[in-house]
Amino acid sequence: MEKTEKMIVIPGEEVQGPISDYVYTEKGKNYSMVYGLLYKGGEKSRIVPMKGRYLPNAEDYIVGIITEVKHGGYTVDINSPYSAYLMSRREYNFGDVVFAKVADVNEVKSVLLSYDKKLFEGDVIEISPTKVPRVIGKKNSMVDMLQEKTGCEIYVGRNGRIWLKGKNPTKAEEAIVMIEKEAHTDGLTERITKFLGD
Amino acid sequence: MEQTDLIWQVKKDALRRQITEGKRIDGRKFDEYRKIELIPNFVPNAEGSCLVKLGKTQVLAGVKMSVMEPYPDQQDSGVISTNAELGPLASPEFYAGPPDEDSIETARVVDRGLRESKMIDLEKLCITPKEKVWSVMIDLHILDHDGNLIDAASLAATKALLNAYIPKYEDEKVVLGTKDKKLPVKDKPVSSTFAKIAGRNVLDPILEETKIMDSRMTFVTMENGYLCAGQKGGTGPYTKKEMDEMFDVALVEGKKMRKLL
Amino acid sequence: MGGAKTNLVLWKNGKRIDGRGKEDLRPVKITVGVLAKADGSCYLEWGGNKVMAAVYGPRECFPRHEQDPYKARLRYRYNMAPFSVDDRKRPGPDRRSTEISKVSREALEKIVFLEYFPKTSIDVYVEVLQADAGTRCAALSAASVALADAGVPMKDLIASCAAGKVDKEIVVDLNKAEDNFGSADLPIGISPRTGEIYLMQMDGQLSRQEFDEAFSLAFKGCMQIYEKQKKALKDKFEKMTATEIGDLNGTD
Repeated sequence: MEKTEKMIVIPGEEVQGPISDYVYTEKGKNYSMVYGLLYKGGEKSRIVPMKGRYLPNAEDYIVGIITEVKHGGYTVDINSPYSAYLMSRREYNFGDVVFAKVADVNEVKSVLLSYDKKLFEGDVIEISPTKVPRVIGKKNSMVDMLQEKTGCEIYVGRNGRIWLKGKNPTKAEEAIVMIEKEAHTDGLTERITKFLGD
Repeated sequence: MEQTDLIWQVKKDALRRQITEGKRIDGRKFDEYRKIELIPNFVPNAEGSCLVKLGKTQVLAGVKMSVMEPYPDQQDSGVISTNAELGPLASPEFYAGPPDEDSIETARVVDRGLRESKMIDLEKLCITPKEKVWSVMIDLHILDHDGNLIDAASLAATKALLNAYIPKYEDEKVVLGTKDKKLPVKDKPVSSTFAKIAGRNVLDPILEETKIMDSRMTFVTMENGYLCAGQKGGTGPYTKKEMDEMFDVALVEGKKMRKLL
Repeated sequence: MGGAKTNLVLWKNGKRIDGRGKEDLRPVKITVGVLAKADGSCYLEWGGNKVMAAVYGPRECFPRHEQDPYKARLRYRYNMAPFSVDDRKRPGPDRRSTEISKVSREALEKIVFLEYFPKTSIDVYVEVLQADAGTRCAALSAASVALADAGVPMKDLIASCAAGKVDKEIVVDLNKAEDNFGSADLPIGISPRTGEIYLMQMDGQLSRQEFDEAFSLAFKGCMQIYEKQKKALKDKFEKMTATEIGDLNGTD
C-alpha cells in the first residue's frame, strides 16, 4: 500500500479506472461520492472515505454494546445509525461488550447478530470505521504486531470499535489513534513499528 | 391509509408517463392557466379584498389598513406586510396552528412580488414623517387547495390592492369603514408558477401535478416585462435554458392575465 | 431589497464602494473540520460574513414519526445569532430564516444520496455569527463542505453565490451597503460538475437582459467558490499529513 499512487477526491470529482465502491456513474463516467482517498492500482482502484458512519454488512465482525435486555434477545449498539438485535443463549447485561458477526441486514436495515462472544473487562475505543482495514493490516499483519508488542488481546470490529485487554493497552491505543490519523500516509508501518519499540 | 398510498403510486407513474407524451391530467396545454374567476370586494369590511378561483383553487385576499410609527431606517415610508394561512379547511393535509414553512414561503414570495414591483408607492402612505404612516396588511386566506397557491394568492392580493381604499384619518384615529381615497397603486405584477415533471415544465400546476413534481419555479413579472421576484422551490434542478423558456412563457401568459386585473 | 435612497457613492471610476470590480468576489476563507463534536463541520468567512456549519448524521431519526423508511431525512436549520447584525435580532426562527432553511434544504436533497441511509436523519445546522450580506450563499456553501467532511455521500458539492444590480450596473456578490441600497438581488446555488441550478431566488427589478447578466455573474461566482471549497477540503488533508508526522518525531 505504501507505494500506490494516492489522490484526494471530493464528491463529484471524476475518477478513472475500475472502481466499484463509493462511486456513481453517469453517462459512462465514474464520479466519487465521498471526500476521501483514491488509491490507484493497475487492476483495482479503491476509494477510502475520510470519515463515515458504519453501515452494517453481513459477514462483518463487530464490537457492540448491549443497550437493552429484551424477552428472547438483546438490542446492541453497533456504532451505527442502525442498532442490531442479538438472540443468544448467553446472558448479557446492560453495558456488556460483545464481539459478534453480522448475520443479516435486510432492506429496512434491521440487523441481526450471531456468533457472539462476551468480552470481559478491558478497554473499548472508537475510531473511524473507514480506517479499520489499516489497523488490521494486510493478512492481519498490523493487529498481530500490535498484540505482540503490547502483550494485549485485541478485537477489531469493522464498526470502528476496538476492544483491548492485556499488559500495555495504553500503548496499543496510542498506536491505533496514530494509525487512524495517518492511515493515508507513506511509511506508516515503519513509524508504528518504531513507536512500539522493543 | 395504505391502500390510498398504493393507488397513488400507480397513479403517479401514469401521470408522469402522460406528461412525457405531452398530455396533462386536465387536458390543458403546458403553457395554459386554468379558468380564472375574480370576485373583487368580496369582503366589504376590509379596505380591499378579492376572491380568486384558479380552477378549483380558491384564495381570498383581504387588505386591512392601520396607522403605525414608521421603521427607523425608512421614516417617511408606509409599510406593507403579507401573511398566508394554509388552514385546515382548504385541504385534508393542512393542520390548524402556526404557519408552517409552506405558508411562510407562499406569503413571502407573494410579498416580494408586490413589494419589489413598487406597486404601492410607499412614500405616498406617509401621514406625518417620522411619526405616522399607513400600514397595509395583506392576509391571504387559502380556502381550497387544488394546486398553485402562489399564483392564485398573488392574483388575489394584486386585485385586492388595486381596489383598495385608504380610510379617513381624523383626530389621530383611523375612522373605520370610511373611504378617503384610493390606495395609490401603479403596476400590476403577475405571478407565473411552473412545475417540473418528467423533465417538462408545466404552467399553473393542479394539485396532482404538484404532488408528482420534481421542482417548482415562480416568476413574477411587471407591466414593463421586468422580473421583480423569482423563486425556485422543490428539490430537482434546472438548467439556464429551462429558466429562459419559462421566463418567456411567464411574460406572454402574464400579460394575458394582467388584462383580467 | 433595500432600494432606499442614499448619498453613498456606490460606483466610482468603474470601482465599487469597496474597490472591487463588477466580477470580483469579496475575500473568502474556508476551514474544514473545526468542531469536535459534530460529524462534519466548516467555518467560512466571506467578506464580513462569519458562518459556522455543523453536520450531525446520518444518525437515528428523532422524532420517530419523521423517519422515512426509504431514505434519510435531511434537515437544514439556518439561524442568525442575535449579535450577528447591527440591530439585535431576537433569538429563534423568524419567517425569513424559515424560508431560507427551506430553500437551502431543498437545494441539497437531490445532491445527497439519501437512499443510502433509510430511517436516519442528517441534520445540518448553520449559524450566522456575523452578517454582511449574502449570508444564505455563505451558509449553503459552508454546509456543503461540512457534509463532505462528515463523509456523507453526495453527487457533488453545492456552490452558492449572488449577483445583483447597484446603480444600474450588474455586479457579483453584493456587500452590505450594496444590498441595502441596490435594486436587485439574485442568489443561486449550483452543482459545479453539471452546472445545474439547485437554488434560485430573486427580488428587485431586472429586465430580461439584466437577469441574464446577473445570472451569468452569479454562476461564475459559484465556480470560484467551488474552487475554494475544493482547495479547503484537499488542503486539510495535506496539512494533516505534514503536521502529524512532524509531531510524531518529537514523541517516543
